[in-house]
Parts: sequence; structure tokens; C-alpha cells
Amino acid sequence: MQRKLMWRWVLIGVVTAAAIFFMWPADKKIHLGLDLRGGIHLVLQVNTQDAVRAEVDDAMERVRGDLSEKGFAPALLQRLSAGDGFELRPAPNTPAKTLDKVIDDRLLEFKVDRGVGLTATLRPEVTRAIRDMAVRQGLETIRNRIDQFGVAEPLIQRQGIEGDRIVVQLPGVDDPARVKDLIRATAFLEIKPVVTVAPTQEALLASSGGKLPEDSEIVSGDVEDLEGRITGREYYLLKKASVVTGRDLRTARRSQDTYGQPAVSFTLNPDGATKFSAYTGAHIGDRMAIVLDNKVRSAPVIRGHISDSGIIEGNFTVQGAEDLALVLRAGALPASITYLEERTVGPSLGRDSVIRGLRAGLVGLVLVVVFMLFYYKGAGINADVALILNAVLLLGAIGVFKATLTLPGIAGIILTIGMAVDSNVLIFERIREELRLGKTVRNAVDLGFQRALSAIIDSNLTTIISALFLFQFGTGPIKGFAVTLTIGLTISMFTAVFVSRSIFEVLLSRRAKLTTLSI
Amino acid sequence: MRFFHDTHIQFMKYRWHWIAISTALNLVALGLIFIGPGFKYGVDFAGGTQLTVKFKSEPDLARIRTSLENLKLGAVTIQRFDEPERHELLIRLQNPGQEGDFSARMMTALDREFNAQTASMRLNLQGVDAVRDGLAQADPDSVGGTFDNRRAHYEPMASAILNFRKEKGILNGPADLDGVKELSSNAKRYLADNARFGNFSILAADNVGPAVGKDLRKKASYAVGFSLLGMLVYIWLRFQFQYGVGAIVALFHDTLIALGVLSLTGREIDIPTIAALLTLVGYSVNDTVIIFDRIRERVKLDRGKPLVEVMNSAINQTLSRTVITSGLTELVVIALFLFGGGVINTFAFVLMFGIVVGTYSSVFIASPIALGVSNFLEKRKHAHRRR
Repeated sequence: MQRKLMWRWVLIGVVTAAAIFFMWPADKKIHLGLDLRGGIHLVLQVNTQDAVRAEVDDAMERVRGDLSEKGFAPALLQRLSAGDGFELRPAPNTPAKTLDKVIDDRLLEFKVDRGVGLTATLRPEVTRAIRDMAVRQGLETIRNRIDQFGVAEPLIQRQGIEGDRIVVQLPGVDDPARVKDLIRATAFLEIKPVVTVAPTQEALLASSGGKLPEDSEIVSGDVEDLEGRITGREYYLLKKASVVTGRDLRTARRSQDTYGQPAVSFTLNPDGATKFSAYTGAHIGDRMAIVLDNKVRSAPVIRGHISDSGIIEGNFTVQGAEDLALVLRAGALPASITYLEERTVGPSLGRDSVIRGLRAGLVGLVLVVVFMLFYYKGAGINADVALILNAVLLLGAIGVFKATLTLPGIAGIILTIGMAVDSNVLIFERIREELRLGKTVRNAVDLGFQRALSAIIDSNLTTIISALFLFQFGTGPIKGFAVTLTIGLTISMFTAVFVSRSIFEVLLSRRAKLTTLSI
Repeated sequence: MRFFHDTHIQFMKYRWHWIAISTALNLVALGLIFIGPGFKYGVDFAGGTQLTVKFKSEPDLARIRTSLENLKLGAVTIQRFDEPERHELLIRLQNPGQEGDFSARMMTALDREFNAQTASMRLNLQGVDAVRDGLAQADPDSVGGTFDNRRAHYEPMASAILNFRKEKGILNGPADLDGVKELSSNAKRYLADNARFGNFSILAADNVGPAVGKDLRKKASYAVGFSLLGMLVYIWLRFQFQYGVGAIVALFHDTLIALGVLSLTGREIDIPTIAALLTLVGYSVNDTVIIFDRIRERVKLDRGKPLVEVMNSAINQTLSRTVITSGLTELVVIALFLFGGGVINTFAFVLMFGIVVGTYSSVFIASPIALGVSNFLEKRKHAHRRR
């Protein structure tokens, strides 16, 4: 008996030591959730339709190119409203052979229905692959940007039934607006030849004979005064075909323009440099437009042959220039994104929550501890030891499992204090009953533990069942609640049954013929 | 010390009274839910954008409302968050059917309304990087050198200012900068003259799009439904079918009354509220199970005794445990309600009510229902035999 008792205490000692090791110091070992640390939680949707449309547009341009080359520019070529295909009406004199060849060469990924003209729709498996690819690239790009921005312990994950959602969690971010812009920036850079510039769209069209040439497009840009204030808007007629795009970039960084204002300078990769130097060499004196996200940032005149570098100017703050350089380095998003959900917790609210949660927990703990001493006298000490041990083990378990402590999680711990003591109450009430029936102390303690056990297990298990459903349902903070409640109740079975029993055993073994029990 | 000395209260004798009272309560709850005032969904389920804003002093609510209504994005509701002297408000924009980044637009609108003075440095709204860059740009300490060099010099000052704001929630004005020891006197003077403190700071921003809100509503009702089902099955397996029914009726009773109280008090239903409801489900069943466990034990010992009497003595024998545990849990929850802060206030509120109702239903409702079902099953068995 003595030996068995010793082993019990060794086990309790080891478990407690381990728990303290894993929870101390708490600010390092206990992982706080976003709601307590402050930070930002975003759920974004990648609009994969964009990528599908881009693919269709690409195919349309190729078909147009092939047919025009042979001298049969199509009579009608337009995208279907669903976005995943296009309709083509060839020029009346187009030979069937030419059309067949274009279809064979260019529309492998399309299902082609021929009627008056032809309708080509992307095959479903191709669409699926494009969508999947867009999300994966989006994820990769966002991860790149966040990494370069430098956030400790970011979580970036794909989610959702269709897999087109991305969850981004960034703890400790103090400027959510900036991060949101960084993530969302499409950052699509193009450098295009300028045909003409005019203050209004009408004037622009007039200069090219009232009709937009097929190979050109109109893009707007801001007009700035010398101090960088926006004073108006002007319109550029640009060639559709880019000289280089963001894909040709090797790197980008913040720099200064000739006036000392923040700007972004970039260098091109070898491929891009070849194209760029050939173009600039041949067009000295012409203007080229630096277009970012379909807006002209600047349109410098080409003064000389440029090989592989350039600069983007125009009304940046230092931070703005740095962020643009960052997203240019990290790459463009393949599709636009929408924020479905945003939860930002400022650091001061998080800190306040921790302080108040701890205070409420402490008040609750003290009330329970005092009541138990008052009501159960000596045995109350026993229950209180079990209760405090429960709290220590619970924190240790949170440390071991690397579970995240959230504000509802703290509420779960506090609630566990109330519910954990239930097991002790059940046992003590039972022991009292047995004593009243005239049993000896030894017998009463044995029976008390034995008979209360089934009630303890059943009652705790039912609570744990509901906690499991909560976990299933859970979004971040609530999961933390389900976790602490479940762990807490499981531990309470150990502390209230095993530890309390061990304390009673020590009492009983000290004096073999104990006739009264302080309970 | 003992609260109860071998009580022999006739709980079961008046079972029809309890059932009548509870039925009435439940009908009232149903009325509150379906006729009015009904549920008020929080931002989690209704979708929309909600800012938690701390103002320097009590703000003019009408101004907040007008400035946001001018955005033409949706209806604006304003409610107090936490104690009045903290000047903290929950400002919500109901914009169902739209997805996007609305919190930024709300912030800009509030900024324009409440912070007349424009300045590149806005100490209550910006992060460390922006404050650092602002100081590096102005260079009040005349450090000179490259921009990055100046940045390194002002970085510790900027993070000290932000840490101070983190503790206080809001910087009230230039005088607050005296509390930031890391700040050089030149930088302090520069900020006092040039930076804008503004009238509010943003404590939290939530924006839940309609797709997510709908998703959460579905998940929440599944969670509550399946957890009720899980309880029924568990108790059915561990005890008997009639006890499972008794426990589930008690659970529905508790959940319904809790929901009724929520709709009566007009508290918003959010994710933490669902957590509280599920906890209540677990807690209430816990209480019921303890009594059923005693009935199970007594049934074996007192063979031949009518079930009514067995149940009655089981309830009496567990009464002191029921009262002590519920009382202690209630104490703890009250502590949470009083001291836990605004974020989990509704959570604690639901449990505070729920524990009382759950305890009542465990004692007065679960066993009578189990008895009724038991009698019904018994009768049917007899009828079968006679045939």
C-alpha cells in the first residue's frame, strides 16, 4: 500500500513538473491568439473568373492574329457573356482549310461547336485547372509579399469548398490598412509606346480620325504640378502590345527621382533587357508610358538607348514606393481578389482583454477556493489543491499541444474552474453520505470515490461531446474555447479523482484508525 | 457545514405544475423569438462592417451617423461597448449583399468628420513604420545621412510611442508624449507641433461578407443540432431511451428560454453567443446526468419501489451537490460577467441565465419527462402482452 502510494505521488510530481516546464514562462510558452495579441485575420476570394477570361482573351488574340495574317480578318470575334469562351464569325471568303488549321493549332483546350460561325468554350477540366492554378499562384504571390513585408508567424492557407478562398492571419500587425493594400495590389506593370496624349478622350479620338485603332487603347493618368499635387487628368493613346511587362522584371527597389522624391527603380531580366534595349534604341525621342494597374504613372521621353533598368516616378510617399517595389518583386496576382471577411484586433484591445480575462479568472478562482474551505473544511484544502493543480496542468497542456489561447479560451479556463470542482463536490457529498450511514472513514472514502466515479465520467463526457461539436463549428477564437474546455475537463478527472484520492490516502495511512474526517 | 439535511422534498408530486410552468415559459420564449422582438444578429451572422472605436471624449452620435450615412453604403447602428467612461463605441454598417473592404472607407469617413486638421502624421491611426518614416522625413534630431540611417535612429522612438498607445488605448494629446521616455526632446516638440493626435483610435475592425455570414449561420445551427443529437444518443446508450428523451426535452427547454432571454434583452447573437449556448447544452446535460446516475443506482438497490419514489429520493440525495456546483459555476460566471470586459460580456450573460435555467430543468423537468415516457412505454408493453 505504502509503495503504491509513493508511486502515485511520483506520478503526480512528474506530471506537475512537466506542466510547469511547458508553461513557464507563460509569455513565451503560451501561444496567444490574434484576439489577444492583436493582428489581422483575412479571408479573401480569388476571382478565378479573371484568369479564365484572360485565357480566353489570349486565345482570341491568337486566332485573330492567325486569320489576319492570312488576310481573312474575322467579321466578328467576341467573348461569350459567361466568360469561358468566344464566338467567331469568319470573314465570308475564309477557306474552310484555313479555319480548320487555326482551330487545330490554337484551340486545343476548347470545345468547338460549328454553326454559322463557331463557338469555342473552354473544356471543363481546363477551366478547373486554370482556376486551381490561379488560386495557387495567388497564394504563392501573397505568401511572397507577406514574407518580404516581414511578419512573424504568418498563416496563409487555402480554404473553402471550391478551394478559391485564402485565409491570411498576421499576428501583431499594427497598420492593417497598409497590409490589406499590399495583399490586394494587383501590381501589373506594363511599359507601352505612346501614340498621342490629350486632355480629354474626345480630343484623343479626334486626333486618330474619330475611331480607336484596332491595335491601340486609351489609358488615363493623373496630371501633377511641380510639388506632386494632382491637378487633373489626361488621356493617353497607347499601343496595346507592351514592350515589357512586370513578368520581365528581375528586381525592384525604392530609390529617388532627380528631384529627390521617392520613386521605384527596377531592373529587367536578360529576356526583358533584350526587348527593352532594342525598342529604346530604335525609338529615341518617342514617349513611352509606364502603366501600373491600367493607369499611366508617367510617360517619359526616351532620351537614349536604355538596356535593362528604369524608374517609376510620380507622387509616392517613402512607404508607398517601398510597398510598390515589394509587390513588383513578389509578382503580380493572376486574378483580382475580394475580401470576404476581415477581423482586425488592435494591440490595445488585445492587451486589455488579457488583463480583464485574468482578473475575472482570479476573482472566480478565489471565490471557489474560499467556498470550498468554508464548506468542506479540511477536505476543502484537498479540493483546492486539486483545483489549482488543474489550472497549472491545463496551462501546461496548452503549452505542450501548442494550442492557441484566445479570449473565449480564457473564458473556457474560468468555466473549467467552476466545473472541475464539481467532481470534488460529487465525491465529498458521497463520502459525507456514507459517513452518515455509519461507515468507517476508510470505507466511506473508498465508497465515495467508487460510487461517484460513474457520475463524474458521464457528466464530463457529455460536456466534452458538446465541446467537440463546438470545435468542429469553430472559427479561430471559439476553437480555443472548445480546446481549453475539453482539456480542462479531462484534466479535472485526473486531479479530482486521482490527486484528491492520493491526498486522502496519505491522511488515512498516517493514522490507520482515523475515526473522524474533516469534510 | 451543510446546506441540506436529508431533505424529502416532493419534487415529483408536483411534476405537472413544473411542466405547466415550463411550457408557459417556453411559449413566452417562442413568442419573443417569433413574434417580437426577435433575434438581433451581430456582425458575425448578419454580415456587415463593424468598427470598435475609442474616442477621446464622449462623441456626438448624430455626427457619426450622418458622416457614415453619407457614404450610402447601408444603415448605421451605434452601440456602446464596455463602460461609458471609456468612450468606446461599436459602430456598425449594415451592408448585406456586398463584399469588399468597407472598414477602410468607414475609417476615412470618420477621420474626415472628427479630425479636421490634416497632417501626414496621425499618431492615433498609424503604425510604427509610418510614425518612424514621418520622423525620419522631418529629422527633428538633425541626424542627417541617408534615409535608412535616419530611420534606424527614430525606430525605437516610434515603437515606444506605439507601445504607449497600446497601453492607454488612445493618445489624448501632446501631454501624453511626456510619458514616452525614449522620445528625444526635439522629436517630442516636433510631434507636439506637427503631428495630429485626432479624436479617436480604432480598437478593432470586423468586416463579414454575406457569403461568410451565411456560412457561419449554417455551421452554427448544425453545431447546436448535432450536439443535441449527440447528447440524446449518448444518454440513450449509457442509460435508457426514456432518460435520453428527458434530458433532450430539458435541453430544448433551456436553449429556448436562453434564446428568449436574448431576444427580450436585444443582445446580439454572435459566434461567442453560440459558444455560450453550446456550453449551456453541455452544462445542463451534465446536471441532469448526475441525477439520472443516482436514479440508475437506486433502481438497482430499491427493487419493487415505484419509479416516482426512486426518482424523488434520487433528486433529494443529489440536491446539495446540484446546488453547490451550480452555485459555484454561477459565481465564476458572474465574475466573468462583471470583470471579463466587453468582448465576452454576452457570452457570460447567456451562461449566467442558462445555469439557473439549466439547474431548474435538471431538477424539475428532466425526471418528470423521463417518468412520463417510461410510463408510456410500460403501458404499451402491457397492451402488447395482453393481446
